[in-house]
Amino acid sequence: MPLIGYLRLWLACLRYSAVRAMMFRLDFIMWALVELFWMGVNLLMVSVIYSHTSEIGGWNRPQMLLLLGTSMLTQRLLMGFFWSNLFEMGRNIRSGTFDFFLAQPGNPLFMVSTRKVDLDSMANVTVALSLIIYAVRELGLHPGLGDLALYGLAVFCGLAIHYSVLLLTASLTFWTIGSQGLEGGYFTLTEFSRLPREVFKGAANVVFVWILPAVVVSNVPARALLDGFNPTLFAWLVGSAALWVFIATSVFKNGLKRYSSASS
Amino acid sequence: MSVLAKYRYVFLTGLQSSLVYRWNFAARSAFSLVHLSFVFILWGAAYRGQTDIGGFNLAQTLTYFLAMLVIQFFISAQNEDYQIGEDIRNGMINQFLLKPIDYYAYRLTLFFSARLVTGCLALLPIALAYPLFADTLSLPSDPWRLLYGAPALLLSALIQFSIAYIFGLLAFWFLEIQSFIILSLALETVLGGQMFPLDLLPGWTFRLSQFLPYYYQMYFPTAILTGRLDQAQAAEGLIVQLVWLGILYGVGRLLWTRGLRRHTAVGG
Repeated sequence: MPLIGYLRLWLACLRYSAVRAMMFRLDFIMWALVELFWMGVNLLMVSVIYSHTSEIGGWNRPQMLLLLGTSMLTQRLLMGFFWSNLFEMGRNIRSGTFDFFLAQPGNPLFMVSTRKVDLDSMANVTVALSLIIYAVRELGLHPGLGDLALYGLAVFCGLAIHYSVLLLTASLTFWTIGSQGLEGGYFTLTEFSRLPREVFKGAANVVFVWILPAVVVSNVPARALLDGFNPTLFAWLVGSAALWVFIATSVFKNGLKRYSSASS
Repeated sequence: MSVLAKYRYVFLTGLQSSLVYRWNFAARSAFSLVHLSFVFILWGAAYRGQTDIGGFNLAQTLTYFLAMLVIQFFISAQNEDYQIGEDIRNGMINQFLLKPIDYYAYRLTLFFSARLVTGCLALLPIALAYPLFADTLSLPSDPWRLLYGAPALLLSALIQFSIAYIFGLLAFWFLEIQSFIILSLALETVLGGQMFPLDLLPGWTFRLSQFLPYYYQMYFPTAILTGRLDQAQAAEGLIVQLVWLGILYGVGRLLWTRGLRRHTAVGG
């Protein structure tokens, strides 16, 4: 299928998602509220800690809010575009409904990942953006178009990493029967993306900064707005994005070969 | 069959069915250690350059979070709300309407048996990791703290269960209750003191939080045991806690009778 075909397919999915959201309005409002509340919880934590201290790892309050906003933005985008699709993938593999995706005339990974768009998460993207804009103003920054493009690119790489980690955990269902706990593991891991890189020392530095891509996804974009373009940091981010996408898609493809459907 | 014997069987069955999921619980407890390392890193960094935040040193604050983590496995409602909602949706409650067994007491008994299992299993990974953070802890040794802490823990467990019960009963009115549950979880997380010790809030907000049920879910027993509340505050808290338990129990009963009127007993 040519690229334009995929785009048209995705737009059709988007339209379907919008119709669905309008059918279940209360549901849409409730889930948008859920995410809004959780963002509020994190914001409150930062506010309370900064009412007792002036900096954490050398980051002052508005800098920390920028980091938090960036982390939220990436997470909301992940939730909006991919979360329920990949979550359902695990369930479908177990039940055998996954056959349905394989029978479709397109790349299975694309079909699996883009079926639904959660518009409640997309609504909260604007909340994350507002927090980022507030922090940028507080910091007195005036990013130009180039800076914004770099920031956008960095967030995109961060999203690619988040997507890969989620795909990787969901793909494990090809081998194990139950992987429900792993999704909780994803949330535990993303907590670390709300912390500045400077606070990680010793073993925590090795694990969360270097081995797992928890810190790089939020710190590099936030640094791009704070200090401008840093080639080393960008190489690190783009390199890890490429690596994690490669690992996740390889595991997915290998899992696909193992998949033998389920009798019904 | 005497009432006690009846619920003793429920308790034993609950123990057995919880033990089936022992690896899930152990894995969840191991994940919670990862969360604990997040807490230690964050607060360790916040304390850098100062010895005191809100009148407590780093060791006291870390002890608070560790104690809360352990207590959580023993007293907090986990998926009771969801299970109750499922019972209603699937028509499983029909059998309780016909048998001489009280649904609230039945669920509560299952809750206690499940917490006994999750609590003991959670202790395992935490005990293994204990040498890593043993030096950073500081627990007060006043005997009165245990005397007040024990009933506070029991009442907290009952409050946790009653709130979960109420949310589960919403399934009488709503098709999908998961969003209500997660929404309430966000409130519980912050107002129950899991994100930060509530005493770090500005004075009047802290005072206000003491009149909300969330305060008595986690923060109150943890704060008594880890030295963040004095004796007078603990005594006052126990009374408010009892009042809240009464209110929540009453609301639960009311929703149950009202809900049954709407119930159409599908399936069974």
